[in-house]
Amino acid sequence: MSITLNALLKSPWVFHLSTGSCNNCDIEVLDCLTPRFDIERFGMLLAGSIKHADVLLVTGSCNRKSARRLKELYDQAPKPCVVVAIGECSLSRGLFIHSYNCPVPLDHIIPVNVYIPGCPPKPEAIIAGAVKLIQKVKGS
Amino acid sequence: MMTREEVLKDLKVRFKEDIVDLFDKSPKRVYVEIRPEAIVKVGTYIFKDLQARFNVASGVDARTHMEILYHFSLEYINLLISVRVKLDRKAPAIDSLATVFKGANWIEREMNELLGIKFRGHPDMRRLLLADEWPEGVYPLRADYREWDVNAVRDRGV
Repeated sequence: MSITLNALLKSPWVFHLSTGSCNNCDIEVLDCLTPRFDIERFGMLLAGSIKHADVLLVTGSCNRKSARRLKELYDQAPKPCVVVAIGECSLSRGLFIHSYNCPVPLDHIIPVNVYIPGCPPKPEAIIAGAVKLIQKVKGS
Repeated sequence: MMTREEVLKDLKVRFKEDIVDLFDKSPKRVYVEIRPEAIVKVGTYIFKDLQARFNVASGVDARTHMEILYHFSLEYINLLISVRVKLDRKAPAIDSLATVFKGANWIEREMNELLGIKFRGHPDMRRLLLADEWPEGVYPLRADYREWDVNAVRDRGV
């Protein structure tokens, strides 16, 4: 493993983007950062800008307007960038699959590395997803 | 300040020709159906003279006609007045209330693009919610809306 990848995995900084979610997944993401779940013990830190982040957390069902912004954000992210889809909406649009405003799922817009299902997923599930992600990148 | 009975009686007398139907649903809620031509007159009176708060308006495609409900609340008597107008579904159009109170501006823009209701005399009818690539003349909340986007994926991929 290269030294940069090793350093990245020690402390992956995450950027949280809501593409039109109901905010429930966002609340669970924020829960992960609270002392009770404390995702910082895996070195994860919420970054204020995508340009500082290694991981892009996406919640929500990607409507026509936010899909363009999402693509722009992904282009601005320093590579390698790992994309984590959180919640049923960002996986397959959930309830909004036939919505006029949600034409394609997230993984048709940008490549997704980790899927965390749930409506909303528990903080434990998000942490499990994060740990699996780190192990997967380490293994490869 | 008028009581609930006085307000309803006043409305009935004042807009005798304009009120089509008055449905007293519950102590907190009254539906007043009026002729669409009288909306500015009635809306101005309820807002300015009765000192009501304009909550929101809701547009409904009722298949036989297009319907708008303007919800006004009179907090001093705890009453919600929903002013209902029924419009022709083929070419729905009504006078704008945005010049009377600013709160009607955005909701009228929203009803215009989602249901295709024209608001005559609206000061600023630009696109509000839909994406830029959305075609003109396609109204997503109409009952007969059909998918226009050939690239849309409507399965879960499993």
